Amino acid sequence: MMWRILHILAIGAVIASAAYVYSVKYQAIYASEQVVKTRHAIAKERDAVNVLRAEYAHLIRPDRLQALADKLLDTQPLALNQIVKAGDLPLPAAKVDSIGRKLEALGLGQSSTPSAGVTGATPALR
Amino acid sequence: MSESPEPRQPSVNAASPPPPPSRPSLLLRLKAFLGALVSTRLDKSGGRIRQLALILCLAYAGIGAKLIKLGLSSEPPQTLKVAVDQAASGARPDLLDRNGQVLATDVRTLSVFAEPRRIIDKDEAVELITAVLPDVDAKELRERLSSKKGFVWVKRQVTPKEQQEIFHLGLPGVGFVPENKRVYPNGPIGAHVIGFVDKDNIGIAGMEKYLDQQSLTDPHVAGFTVDPDSLKPVRLSLDLKATHALRDELKAGLEKYQAKAGAGAIIDVNTGEIIALESLPDYDPNDPPDMTKESSKDKINRINVGVYEMGSTFKAISISMALESGKVNLGSRIDARDSLRYGRFTIHDFHATHRVLTVPEVFTHSSNIGTARMALMVGVQGHQAFLKKMGQLDRLRTELPESAEPLVPKRWTELNTMTIAFGQGLNVAPIQALMAVAALVNGGHMIVPTFLTRNEADAMASSHRVVSEQTSESMRYLMRSNATHGSASFANIEGYYVGGKTGTADKIIHGHYSQDKVFTTFMAITPADKPKYLYMVLYDQPQAVAGDGGYHTAAHNAGRVAGLLIRRVQPLEGVPPASQFPTQPFPLLAKLGYGYDADKVGKE
Repeated sequence: MMWRILHILAIGAVIASAAYVYSVKYQAIYASEQVVKTRHAIAKERDAVNVLRAEYAHLIRPDRLQALADKLLDTQPLALNQIVKAGDLPLPAAKVDSIGRKLEALGLGQSSTPSAGVTGATPALR
Repeated sequence: MSESPEPRQPSVNAASPPPPPSRPSLLLRLKAFLGALVSTRLDKSGGRIRQLALILCLAYAGIGAKLIKLGLSSEPPQTLKVAVDQAASGARPDLLDRNGQVLATDVRTLSVFAEPRRIIDKDEAVELITAVLPDVDAKELRERLSSKKGFVWVKRQVTPKEQQEIFHLGLPGVGFVPENKRVYPNGPIGAHVIGFVDKDNIGIAGMEKYLDQQSLTDPHVAGFTVDPDSLKPVRLSLDLKATHALRDELKAGLEKYQAKAGAGAIIDVNTGEIIALESLPDYDPNDPPDMTKESSKDKINRINVGVYEMGSTFKAISISMALESGKVNLGSRIDARDSLRYGRFTIHDFHATHRVLTVPEVFTHSSNIGTARMALMVGVQGHQAFLKKMGQLDRLRTELPESAEPLVPKRWTELNTMTIAFGQGLNVAPIQALMAVAALVNGGHMIVPTFLTRNEADAMASSHRVVSEQTSESMRYLMRSNATHGSASFANIEGYYVGGKTGTADKIIHGHYSQDKVFTTFMAITPADKPKYLYMVLYDQPQAVAGDGGYHTAAHNAGRVAGLLIRRVQPLEGVPPASQFPTQPFPLLAKLGYGYDADKVGKE
């Protein structure tokens, strides 16, 4: 009796493991199919990217841009005196509080900027 | 061997109802025959074994013969895959400019092929295919399909629409294979450097051919296909924007001066990198010309393949030779009062001064007499040796497969030395002159020009000195003074401290120097105190335009174009115009007492 139960259990275990192995096998096949599909999709995308890169390069080729700019923009070609090094730029002038100055001229300045203690042009508050 | 089932047959026959009287003899004979066939008689088995052995031997001999035949046949039996791999265009690396802009790339397309052996009705196939692809020649296609090959092309690189239509024909034995098609998004810009490929993606000209010669990319090595992902893009030294600017300005000049041809190049004198190179007329590498045809002959790369008498730009080489030899210095005086006679030949000056000139004046007035006298001081031997050292007498090979042998006179007399000194009688490729002038101004280092990127350290390591630092500085000084007081003033662009030299060579027409047909060149360096770029512009047979006083000399065409070019390209290369001139442009000369200011030199 014991043996029989054991046999049944063993047979059951064999069938179960076989079923499990089959399911794993099919999952693996499915996964590998997916991998191949994805690879193809990647290759396709890569080709598409290449085509787009070529197209982009074709669209931004300098002679085309120049022709378009000549036709559509009313800007002039760059002149050399328009090019300045960053270091050569003048420092920004101190900002002038024109409203405050006007108020001051009207005799209202004291009340609007009491803490500054300076009359005349007051640096604008940031 | 198969004796077990057989014996039963006679017994079955025997068990059948008694046969009619006429048949026993037949039945008996059959029985006897079958019985003999399956009986095991020891006396006959030896013969049977021998028979069996004989049959087996014959079979093996047959197999062996077939093997030998297969081994000897030159053409391996092609499977479709092998045939496709061999025929389909392989992948090539992308070509980029120095800033990474695409110059050439591969695009995946489909091509239609056929397997003639599997096509059932060839006439029908031809009819259907030509209906869909009208540009395929029906007769030629029928011939191809009738061949015994396992694989033939029907049409390369079809459009998606054509592909759909062919697919819907549903012809057996007709299929598609993905191929790489080379595209050049910038069209003719830089075409002479980039080159082009044939239908099988094999390089035919320019850097495309160079890549194949390096066997980086040979797409048809047997059993070896290139994985497109493994190909690294190749970076060229060209700057796409500068090349476009060069082409644009050259083209405008070509039309304005109605020249036959024009060409130009920009080189980085410290690395030898060619930043831009153009030769007009040119072509679109997407639709390459058939270079064997006569009509395509004028589309050659004039910088590398053309050989020309460079005219007065050669005076830079002659004067540096005289300075380097020590026979003259910048303060020497050269007699140019009278024309120079040699036998029955007389050398004149184009802008005759009829006085004694200083060396800088010889340069700025472009005096033929003065230059010839200086070359004579060095002598024929010294002249030849110097030109050899400067690479003017040998074919210059760069990465580009196109190159040209200079035309050197077979007999080299004093007269040859005199004329070659001012640029007549020796034909060189413009890129050779470019290389020589670059070496004269960069401190005296001879660097072979390259079309691939190179850094300064590598360039210096592969270079050798051809003139001294002081001679080089003198040349820069002379070119600068020529820009302020001489013929190069059209290119003297404010803010870039330009130096330059013009050259106008009379063309030889029917063996005589023509008076009105000229070949003009212009070389400019920026900045003259420490040059970075050397510009070269040349025109073949430019005409004088209104307002130029009838002059068709180099200053008026090549010089002007070079000026426009400097104005345009210098900012592109990230060089802003300087607000003031360098304070000590020529320190070595200053120590010798020539004054800082090349700008004053011509006024003496």
